[in-house]
Amino acid sequence: MSEAPALEFDQVTFGYGRTPVLREVSLRIYPGEFYAVVGANGAGKTTLMKLGIGLLHATYGTIRLFGEPVEKFHDWHKVGYVPQRAAARPTLPVSVDEVIRTGLAGHLGLFRRPKAHHRRRIEHVVDVMGLADTRSAPINRLSGGQQQRALIARALVTEPRLLVLDEPTTGVDAAARHVLRESLEHLVRVERVAVAYISHDPEGFSGLAHHVVEVTAGHLVDAPVEGHHHPTPTKTRP
Amino acid sequence: MTDVLALGFMQKALVACVVVCTVAPLVGAFVVQRHQSLTGDGMGHVAFAGVGLAFLIGAAPLLGALVFTVIAAFVLFRLQRSGLAGDLSLALIFYGGIALGYLFAARSGSGVNTVLGFLFGSPLNLTWESVAAVVGLALVVLVIVLLLYGPLVSIAFDEEAARVSGVPTNALVLTLTLVVALTVVGGMYAIGLLLVSAMMIVPVAAAAQVAVSYRQTMAIAAAIGGGSAVVGLLLAYYGDATPGSSIVLTAIVCYVIASVVGTLRRRARRQTPRLAER
Repeated sequence: MSEAPALEFDQVTFGYGRTPVLREVSLRIYPGEFYAVVGANGAGKTTLMKLGIGLLHATYGTIRLFGEPVEKFHDWHKVGYVPQRAAARPTLPVSVDEVIRTGLAGHLGLFRRPKAHHRRRIEHVVDVMGLADTRSAPINRLSGGQQQRALIARALVTEPRLLVLDEPTTGVDAAARHVLRESLEHLVRVERVAVAYISHDPEGFSGLAHHVVEVTAGHLVDAPVEGHHHPTPTKTRP
Repeated sequence: MTDVLALGFMQKALVACVVVCTVAPLVGAFVVQRHQSLTGDGMGHVAFAGVGLAFLIGAAPLLGALVFTVIAAFVLFRLQRSGLAGDLSLALIFYGGIALGYLFAARSGSGVNTVLGFLFGSPLNLTWESVAAVVGLALVVLVIVLLLYGPLVSIAFDEEAARVSGVPTNALVLTLTLVVALTVVGGMYAIGLLLVSAMMIVPVAAAAQVAVSYRQTMAIAAAIGGGSAVVGLLLAYYGDATPGSSIVLTAIVCYVIASVVGTLRRRARRQTPRLAER
């Protein structure tokens, strides 16, 4: 089987200035795999994923997205990123619909306008994330769970093959967590999307994750997978 | 009222001020969302150095301001990208600009007051040529904002997520900084280098009190900007006041009214059930 990992870290080292954060980290996430990354606050979970999606640059080592070095990667529509909710808090009123449409900006390029199939995709993610009733409301007037779902809908609008979520359940109520779990389960099992899920809260991924790794002292350590009830994809791990 | 509109100098002032004050908030919406509200103000300071130098060497003030602000846009962009654009480095550039402008102006022999006029604008003394320059710059800004609307919204809302989705964020941030520079220069003759940045921010702040979307914020802000220009100019004419300050103060009154309306609406909303959580 020669399917390339959606995201691959090969002996990656990174530090802020002289402060090392990650040392010789290796990791592969294949299509259809749900990978949970846990660790204490400040351990380097978010740094790990920001390296993976090109927001930070590794000091040493290689990072590949779908087999391409991240520096040369161009198919960004294959990657969906859901940042921590605090990173996307608008000063001005921005409606849920407008937030979701910003997810298309990179795919459309600078001067193209959304076409019919883009609009259909927007309708689809609005339905899937249960945002139909709130799509014209300003996002900062919604509950934490609704805001989170809007950010996930934005990430899904380009039909990504890799979805990176950073603490998606922080400040989110039980009902919204349930919707999120169902959506992620569908994406991984049916659409074979690779998911990298950063969280300090195991409840969010318990029963979904195929692999759990803990970032500790700059290294990745395998952690027990609890309550997983889906067959683990038969891929070779590093 | 029709008598006022028949006056040539008022016609020129109205065209220049309405155009500038309508377009400035469209740029301001992106600047405010990116927490860079003082960029326009700083650009005004830098442009003043360009105006001063133009007077010193006998060049067109518009050209001097344009060259200096475009250079400042590139420097600012580099500082932002290298993580050095803290308050201190920006203050050094901006206050350096106004000090240089004053120095050049004092040595130019044109009279400091002539140059100082550019800080607060003198729309009642415009020629049709300068009105055409103002309208031309505003049109360039408008076309850029309309063409790049989607990508600009994406970097304004969440630059990191925009970058991950493939938006060329560096090019867009540089373009936005250049657009701020063009807006400041365009507003120089109409309401002045210092007050034009107010028209980028105040109408947006007012619109944000009552709007429910980004597009609506921009539309309302542009309307408040244009309306403030008309009302402010008329108030200046009948009240024998300075036009730039009348326009900005009118916009601030709009902000106060919008704040009251917004507060009342939020209070009423709190008394009705919250949007259904599902």
